[in-house]
Amino acid sequence: MVTFTIDGQSVTVAEGTNLIEAALKVGVEIPTYCYHPGLSVVGRCRICFVEIEGMPRLVTACSTPVQDEMVVFTASERVREARAAVMEFLLENHPLDCPVCDQAGECGLQDYSVEHGLDSTHMIDVRRTFPGLERRAIGPHVIQNQNRCIHCTRCVRFTTEISETADLAMKSRGNHSYIDTFDGTPLDNPWSACVADVCPVGALTVKEFRFRARVWHLEETETVCPGCSIGCNVDLGHLDGVIHRFVPRANAEINGWWMCDYGRFLADGLNSREIDAPLRRTEDGECAVSWESAMATLATLLRAAPKPLVVASANFSNEALYSVKRNLQESAEIMVVVPIQSGDQRRIRNARGEWIDSVDAHSNSTGARHLDLTLVDGVALESYIRDGDGPLLILDAHAHPWLETEAAAAAVAGRPTAVLARGRTPIVDTASLVLPLASWAETEGTYTSSTGIVQLARQALPPAGQARPPWEVLHSLARHLGHEQERIMSPRLLFAEMAAEIGAFAGMTFGRLKTEPGMPVHEEARGVG
Amino acid sequence: MTIEPILLAARGVKNSRTLASYLDRGGYKALTKAVAMDPAKVIDEVKTSGVRGRGGAGFPAGVKWSFVPRDLPKPKYMICNADESEPGTFKDRELILVDPHEVLEGIAIASYAIDAHTAYIYIRGEFVREAEILERAIAEARDKNYLGKDIVGSGYDLEVHVHRGAGAYICGEETALIESIEGKRGLPRLKPPFPAVVGVFGCPTVVNNVETLACIPHIIERGGAWFATIGTERSTGTKLFCVSGHVERPGVYEAPMGTTFREIIEGFCGGIRNGGKLKAFIPGGSSAPILPADRIDTPADFESVAEAGSMLGSGGVIVMDDTVDMVWALENLLTFYAHESCGQCTPCREGSDWALDVVRRIRRGYGHAGDLETLHRIARFASQGMTICPLGDAFCLPISSFLEHFGGEFEAAIAAAEKRAATFLPILPVRSDHALFESEEAS
Repeated sequence: MVTFTIDGQSVTVAEGTNLIEAALKVGVEIPTYCYHPGLSVVGRCRICFVEIEGMPRLVTACSTPVQDEMVVFTASERVREARAAVMEFLLENHPLDCPVCDQAGECGLQDYSVEHGLDSTHMIDVRRTFPGLERRAIGPHVIQNQNRCIHCTRCVRFTTEISETADLAMKSRGNHSYIDTFDGTPLDNPWSACVADVCPVGALTVKEFRFRARVWHLEETETVCPGCSIGCNVDLGHLDGVIHRFVPRANAEINGWWMCDYGRFLADGLNSREIDAPLRRTEDGECAVSWESAMATLATLLRAAPKPLVVASANFSNEALYSVKRNLQESAEIMVVVPIQSGDQRRIRNARGEWIDSVDAHSNSTGARHLDLTLVDGVALESYIRDGDGPLLILDAHAHPWLETEAAAAAVAGRPTAVLARGRTPIVDTASLVLPLASWAETEGTYTSSTGIVQLARQALPPAGQARPPWEVLHSLARHLGHEQERIMSPRLLFAEMAAEIGAFAGMTFGRLKTEPGMPVHEEARGVG
Repeated sequence: MTIEPILLAARGVKNSRTLASYLDRGGYKALTKAVAMDPAKVIDEVKTSGVRGRGGAGFPAGVKWSFVPRDLPKPKYMICNADESEPGTFKDRELILVDPHEVLEGIAIASYAIDAHTAYIYIRGEFVREAEILERAIAEARDKNYLGKDIVGSGYDLEVHVHRGAGAYICGEETALIESIEGKRGLPRLKPPFPAVVGVFGCPTVVNNVETLACIPHIIERGGAWFATIGTERSTGTKLFCVSGHVERPGVYEAPMGTTFREIIEGFCGGIRNGGKLKAFIPGGSSAPILPADRIDTPADFESVAEAGSMLGSGGVIVMDDTVDMVWALENLLTFYAHESCGQCTPCREGSDWALDVVRRIRRGYGHAGDLETLHRIARFASQGMTICPLGDAFCLPISSFLEHFGGEFEAAIAAAEKRAATFLPILPVRSDHALFESEEAS
C-alpha cells in the first residue's frame, strides 16, 4: 500500500495503481479519452495531465503509477492550461456536428469541453475530412464516421486485447491516419458493437440504435442480460415504454465492461407482445376473461385428477421458480419440470481477462438447479407431455423451442391446457386458457449466473396490458388453491423467504443485491450446476 | 583547428569498403583487443572517452551501456540506428558508404561490452545501396571470423542483421525503432521503462547512432584518454558536420567538437554561394532551432550551441542565404513534420498539421491577425513533455525560433494580407424585409 496526496487529500491505495484509478478513490475525476480501465495504457490522448510536486514536466495520470508520498495536483493553473490546450487540439479537426451526431449526450468531447475546454478556438482553417469514411458500415452492427475520430485507438485495442480478433487497425500516419478493418473485411466478431461503447466520441456508433432516441431522453435501468446463463450486467435504455438498447454495465466478476452482440440485440425483441389479456377457449369459442375468473379456472384445472403437469421455465427469476416449487410442487404435490436446452456458445471476458463460456441458453437454469427443481431436456420434456394425460400448465410458452412447435401443439391437443405467453405459438393458439405473461424487462427478480453469482435485474417497464409477472400469477394461484393467505407479496418478500429456506441463498438479502454487483451463492451450493 | 580525420580517414582510399582495405588500415585490431578485455573495462574506456551520442540527444554512450542490467538472465540486444532521416543530416550514410567495416567493428565492440549476441542495424528504407554495402561487409566479416561464432577465437558470438525501415522518420526515435523491429507500427513507447531495461522483444537493448559506434574502435585502440583530448572538455572527439544549403561546397566534413560554425561554413564549405550573405543557419538538423547570421562564431559543441539558443543535434548544418523567405522555409520544415508525425499524441498530431495550415496560409498571402498567437500557442503546448517522444519539440522549436528571430517577416506578410483584405468591398448589412416595407410605405 502506498499513501499519497492528491489535491490536498491523503489517499492510501494498492501499489501499482495508476493515478486515474487512485484519484477516483477520493472522488477526483481526471479526464480521459484513450484510457480505459479494461484496456492497455497507451498515453496518447494527453488529456489526463496532472502536476506532480518535484517533477519539471506535467505527467499523464494514466501511465503514472502512484508512489509513496507523491504530491499530485489535478487542477493547478498549469494543468488547466495544458488540458484546455489539448481540448483545443482535439477539437481542431472535430466536426462539431453534435446536432446530428448520435453520440451527443454521452460524448467525451462534449463533457470535457464544458469542463476543461476554452470558450472558443484559435482555429480558422478548413477542417480535415475523410471522404468516403463519413458514414460507412464498418461491420454489420457498427457505423463509422472517421471525421469525428480522435485517434484514441480504444477500438483497435478492444479488438486486439479483448475480443482477440484483431479486426481493426489504424492505417496511414499522423493526422490522416484512420480506423479501418485490418484486411478490409467487415468488422464481424461476436462482440463487435463493444467498439462503439469504448469509442469516446461519435466515430463508431451502433447501427441498431442510431437515431432512435437522444440518449439524454432515455431512462436507464440496471439489469442483467437474459440471453444466456452468463448473466452480463447491462443498462437497459427505454423511452416511453419502448426498449431501445442494452449497453454493458461494468461488473468485474462477470462481463468486465463488455457484452456480446447476441445479447445486446435481444433488446428490440423484448418490445413484441401479442398476448395482452387473459383468454378462455371453449368449444363455443374464445372469450376474454378477468384475471380473477382465469385464476379460478386455473385452480379448478390444477385440482383435477389425474394430476396435472406443470412446465416452468429456466428463464424465470429465482423468486418465480421458488414460488413454483413452494406453491405447486410442495403444497399441491404437482409434478413440475423445467425444460432446458443447450444453445450456441457464448463467451465473455471478465475484468481479469478470463473467459467465461456458456452453452446454456437460459438465464437462470443455475438457479433452478439450486432450487432442486427437475430439469429436463427437450426429449424428456416431450415424453413427460406425451406420457401424461392430465391437464397441463405451461408457465412460459417460450420456455423451450420444442414448446413452440406444431408437434407440441399436437401432443397437447384435446387436453385442458393453460399457458402463460407473450407471443403467439401453436400451443397458445389452441390452449384452453391463455394468460399474458410479463416480459423479463417488466418484472423484478434475481438470476443466478453460470458462475454462481446471484444478481438482481430491475424492472424497467410496467407490464404491458394486463400482463402479470410469473411470481404474481403463482402467488394468486396459491391463494385460489388455499395454500396462501391473503397477503402482500413481492419479489423482495419471496427472496427473504427463499434465503431463509434454500441453502444456496443463505445470508443474502434483496437490499444488498440492490447495492452490490452480485453475491456468490453459498459455498456448499457452488458445485451445483 | 584542423586535424587528421578519424572517422572518415578512409575517404579517398581505393576500395575502402572492402575488408582487405580495412585490414590494411589496421582494422579489427580494436575488436581483437576488446574481446580480450573485461566487458566492464570496455565500458570504462568508453566512459573515459566522454563520447556522447551523435544521433542528436548527446547522451554519454558509456553511461548508456552501463544502464544495461548485467545479471538479468534475458538476452541483450544491440541496435545500430542508421535510420537517418532528419532533413539536413546525411553523415551516417557517408560513414556507411566510405567505411562500413568501421561501423561493424564499433557494433561488435559495443555488443561485446553489453553482452549482446544479436545486433541489428536498423537502416532507413531509402538507403538501398547502403543496406547492400552493409550486407556485403557483414558477409565478408563473417567469412574472416570477425563476426559470427567464436569471434577471433575469443569464444564470443555475435550475429549482425540488417533491418530495413519502411520509410517513417519516427522510426529513428529509439523506441519506435524497437517497435518497428518487432514488426509493429512504429510508434514511440511510453517511458519508463527505458530500452536499456525493456527494449526489443522485452529485453535490455542499447540503441546507438552509426557515428557514435564508428568512434568506438578508435577509442578502444587508442584509448579513451586520447579521444578525450580532442574537442572540448565536455564534448569530446570529432564530429561529422553535414553542411547543406547555400554554400559553395556542401558536404560532410569532419572536425573536432568546438570548431566554430564560421570555420565550417566559411572555411570548409568556401562560404556562401555566389558570394552571397548569410541570413541564418540551422546548426543541428531540421529540428534544431534556427540561428541568425550573427551567431556564426558559436563553437560547434553541445554546450556552446545550447548556450546560443539551439542544439548541436545531429550536426546537420543547413545554411540559408539572404534570398530565403523565412515564411516559406518554416512551411517547408512543417510540411515534413506534419507528414512524419506518427499521429499518436494529440498535441503533435493535430498541432503539426494545424501549424502547417497556418504558416502555409500566411505564405500564400492570407495571413490573419491572430495567426502568430496561434503559432505561439501550438509551439507552447505541443512541446516540453506534452508528447511521448521529442517529435513535438522537433516541430515546435523551429516555430518558436523562426518567430523569435524572423518574426518580422511573418508580421509583414500578415500585415500585407490584412491590408489587401481591407481593400475588398465591405460586406454591407442586408436590408430586412421589414425595412423594405417601411421604405415602400414612406414613398
